Amino acid sequence: MANQSGDVYGLTILSPILQDLTAETSHNCAIRMKLASMPGDESSPFAKVSSTHMARLVVMDDVVYVGMPSCEEHLKSQYLVFETNFDGELDEYLTRMAREIPADVDALWQHCWGYPGTKDVAAFIAYMKKCQITTTFYFADVNNHTVQETLTALQTQAAVAEFIERNQGKAAAELQIAFAHFLEKLRKAPPPVPGRPEKGGPPRIETNMKWATRNAANTKQVTPNE
Amino acid sequence: MSNINHKTYAMNAITPMKSWKTWIVRAFFLILGAVKPLQKDLVQLSFIHFARWVIIKRSKFPHADSQQPEEKLKYDYLLFFSNFNGTWNQYIDAFSAVLSTGLNLIWHWSEKFPGSVPVTPFKQYIARCQFDTDYYYTAYPYATTNDVKAAHRVQDALDAFEKESARKTAEEFARSYRKFVLAVQCDLGQTGKAPVGT
Repeated sequence: MANQSGDVYGLTILSPILQDLTAETSHNCAIRMKLASMPGDESSPFAKVSSTHMARLVVMDDVVYVGMPSCEEHLKSQYLVFETNFDGELDEYLTRMAREIPADVDALWQHCWGYPGTKDVAAFIAYMKKCQITTTFYFADVNNHTVQETLTALQTQAAVAEFIERNQGKAAAELQIAFAHFLEKLRKAPPPVPGRPEKGGPPRIETNMKWATRNAANTKQVTPNE
Repeated sequence: MSNINHKTYAMNAITPMKSWKTWIVRAFFLILGAVKPLQKDLVQLSFIHFARWVIIKRSKFPHADSQQPEEKLKYDYLLFFSNFNGTWNQYIDAFSAVLSTGLNLIWHWSEKFPGSVPVTPFKQYIARCQFDTDYYYTAYPYATTNDVKAAHRVQDALDAFEKESARKTAEEFARSYRKFVLAVQCDLGQTGKAPVGT
């Protein structure tokens, strides 16, 4: 099925947005205001639904007109587009959305036609599936690792780089002991937090990797006159 | 509007297609999905985390309530969503330079598609068909696709080295360690903020 690539699921949902000419704030505007207030980092609701690799929400106002000789046409509704890439199965993911971030989900989708709310999880899942569009072709460059595996690997990568830099030139016995300590520390490190834009990527075991700046400082600047 | 979350850009585009042409595009995607070597260029570009094309038939726009006005459209639509590293210009330039044949096979069937080469009318067309992202989240905002792939290689190498080096003498360990360092040295790039200008 094109909705899946390896272990990653690509969900596309288009939910028609309510129209109410008498409303003080139009529904599409209310959605946009809510989206503008949502954090995109580790405080994001999608960081709580931790199997999410990447997700976006978009208000699609209309289709496009590309000019003559094609016909100009317009949508009767605006649509809330939800595009997300996550690990695992669809039902499990939607259940997590309904149970773990109900306030955010309700605040957005309450502005859409036919939305039943998150209290009745089965009705919520049925609604989302009704609005789902099957992906025709889905590409995931890394499709065999979960979010947590990727974050852990990024943490490991930074830690290994630092370990190698710190332990250059050490005697074999000393190196072996240092490596055993390093592994122990790495295994006990707290799990990385999804969505955290921290320098050096996810939380690092040690944070003194200065070889790049040190090398830059040691490099003599050559001016054209020298 | 937030098309960008640190190192990743979220792009959305929609193009109209005559209904009979969508079957050709579907057939192309079916072949592209089945014959993995055809995806080689897409994989080798290595700056796209996830991308998808979605065809919506003109009669299949979701209808979630009996009071919702029904869509009456002449065209089917091709939606494109991409999560890539770098700037919009870099992305479209690379698409045009490396994937022009594939892109032409996909978008040739959309109304007034000018072709992916030359790049100027191609960019004008994409800009016209693109719509902005209102909210964008990524679990690893400081990591590019290459960072992610390199990190997994380091993780695999470390796991293997850990098993292999257990119960070795100090000298044996040091020899294995040097091999390990040589194996991972190209994958130790540091993640962090996107360069200025992206």
